[in-house]
Amino acid sequence: MASIAFKNVTKRFGDTVAVDNISFEIADNEFFCLFGPPLSGKTTILKLILGLERPDEGEVLIDGKPVNHVSPARRNVAMVFQNLALFPHMTAEENVRFPLVERKMSSDEIAPRVADVVEKLHIGHILHKSPAQLSGGERQRVAIARALVRDPVAYLMDDPISALDARLREETRVELKRIQHELGRTLVYVTHDQEEAMSVADRIAVLENGVIRQVGAPSDIYDNPNSAYVAGMLGAPAMNLIDLDPDRPSALGGALPLEGITVPAGATKIGIRPEDLTVGYDGGGAGKPVEVYEVEPLGGVTIVTLQSEDITLRAMVRGQPQIRPSSEVSLSVANGQACFFNGQGEALSA
Amino acid sequence: MTAIHLENLGKTFGSFTALKNMNLEIADGEFVALLGPSGCGKSTTMNMIAGMIDPSEGAIRFGDRDMRGVPMSRRGVGFVFQNYAIFTHMTVYENLAYGLRATGVAKAQRDRRVHDMAEFLHLTPLLKKPSAGLSVNILQRLAIGRSAIMEPAIFLLDEPLSNVDAAFRAVMRTELKHLQREFRQTMVYVTHDQLEAMTMADRIAVMDHGKLLQVGTPIDVYNNPSSVFVAGFLGSPGMNLVKGRSVEAGGFIRVDLGEAGMSTPLPAHLSASVPEGASVFYGFRPEHCELTDGEGLRLPVTFVERIGARTIVHMGSDGSAVKCVFDNRVPVRNGEVVSLAIDPSNVRVFDAETGAAIGGAN
Repeated sequence: MASIAFKNVTKRFGDTVAVDNISFEIADNEFFCLFGPPLSGKTTILKLILGLERPDEGEVLIDGKPVNHVSPARRNVAMVFQNLALFPHMTAEENVRFPLVERKMSSDEIAPRVADVVEKLHIGHILHKSPAQLSGGERQRVAIARALVRDPVAYLMDDPISALDARLREETRVELKRIQHELGRTLVYVTHDQEEAMSVADRIAVLENGVIRQVGAPSDIYDNPNSAYVAGMLGAPAMNLIDLDPDRPSALGGALPLEGITVPAGATKIGIRPEDLTVGYDGGGAGKPVEVYEVEPLGGVTIVTLQSEDITLRAMVRGQPQIRPSSEVSLSVANGQACFFNGQGEALSA
Repeated sequence: MTAIHLENLGKTFGSFTALKNMNLEIADGEFVALLGPSGCGKSTTMNMIAGMIDPSEGAIRFGDRDMRGVPMSRRGVGFVFQNYAIFTHMTVYENLAYGLRATGVAKAQRDRRVHDMAEFLHLTPLLKKPSAGLSVNILQRLAIGRSAIMEPAIFLLDEPLSNVDAAFRAVMRTELKHLQREFRQTMVYVTHDQLEAMTMADRIAVMDHGKLLQVGTPIDVYNNPSSVFVAGFLGSPGMNLVKGRSVEAGGFIRVDLGEAGMSTPLPAHLSASVPEGASVFYGFRPEHCELTDGEGLRLPVTFVERIGARTIVHMGSDGSAVKCVFDNRVPVRNGEVVSLAIDPSNVRVFDAETGAAIGGAN
């Protein structure tokens, strides 16, 4: 059981500032997700928690105790690696036992601890198999079991399922969430996949260039991003960010009417989620018509890409509407669902 | 511009059958996606079209021309692989111009075509840059441009987007589709990602274990899958398939779904095709269900996955596991038992033994 805290932590590699004066707290038993593009500092933060790197400034705390000078082995934090590196010449069971054997524990001590994690991860039926005989999801569970058998206070995962194909990822992330919920252990999870981050995390920290831009519950960040950067990071397709027309309640040179929507003072851009951009394709609509660039049917929903002057917009329409490329449609904002940003990209509340 | 005909195409590697009896007509200017899990035979099919490997059986024709014995270099195909093949010692411009130069296209025309393609793929600001050091995303875009600039009659792409990141993949999907709409090559696109196949292709060919299972427009295959495999493979999440037994009641067939309860009566065309007392899968898409206070399937919620615009609610377990997609504000909680109304016009029924759809399209 462990909480983890960073207090004004900075980590440099030569001239590069990998982590720039960041502070946050991860609660005991929390599923905490570090989310950001490559080189935003996610993996460096994991290494600082593990003790593989030491901060240049600031303090890392585990359970309230400073650990800057505690060796990785004595922090008792377990890492599940990106490639789920299992030893190929060992069976699943030997893999799970390995960390305890390595610590020279006796068989009597090892057996009950292995039995415990095996039960929690539902892997009793595959223990005799070698990693090559296991499916991606099974390998995953064995790798997690191996990390957990040490009984760590927290465990860390660095993009653990990115190598799986799309369908398996969707299933595995739900499984991971279930496992973490049942184990009740602090989990720090790195991903660059926004859908995965929102699916699994209790809270997400959105990173950019070694700085945390926003921390919060996934739905809070999704609904109330504090900046255009964060708004653009969550959601697929990404939020549409459009310049407001000067001197009138519209955007896109009149193609997107905003009558009845309160635009906060100082706003220069409006942000609209694709699901909140309504596409009128039966002739009506108040705004200037906009041309359809591409139509992508997903079955349950349809993504419509629109081009207005030099701006590309994406709308997500429910079902299978009859919208054709190169046809003209009208745009409006559904239920006034929009965000506003100033010239610095900061969110403004209406 | 060329149509592709695959006739009884087959390929064996030793005792392993990679592809069996494949028949597919790809029209001139059509965008066809070969979709399936790894090992389904999709890349084998593409490699035979390209001329990289020879068929063990059957024939490939481009238009009315038999391709037997025609080497890859003389088939007029452009090929883009998962791992972009870019000359890293050249600039972006030189990479784009490479094929045109090799085939002796005059400088003025070469220059114009490079600039047109660069403009189309948003590479113009990078033309003078060395390719070494460009991001994976940009390199893959360049690889596509380098192949497309030759204006091949047939354009073959093998998982070209699997190494680029998710956000960029979404952009490239739209661009590739638009590229093909513009140039009207015959395009064959291999992917295991149903989303790519659905969003880009004119028609999808779904494959599994070396067999072609179903061919049709994305929406047609999505709405009327011919088998449980296709039903489950398309969609995110795939179609719900709940095991049950058909019972007759008042002239209509219902499906007894065990603990989840009894389905509503099947529509007339399905009631007429589904025999009584049959073991079946009751299929419906995650977006075709609604929470109801009234009668419906009773299922315990096991997990609520809120991912931005949508919420995936996981319900039931094992044989009656169901996922439904709602908007992001749906008020459900873990552990609660919900009542689910399913739009009967969107119900599909499959034979539990063979997996084949019963009753066809409505």
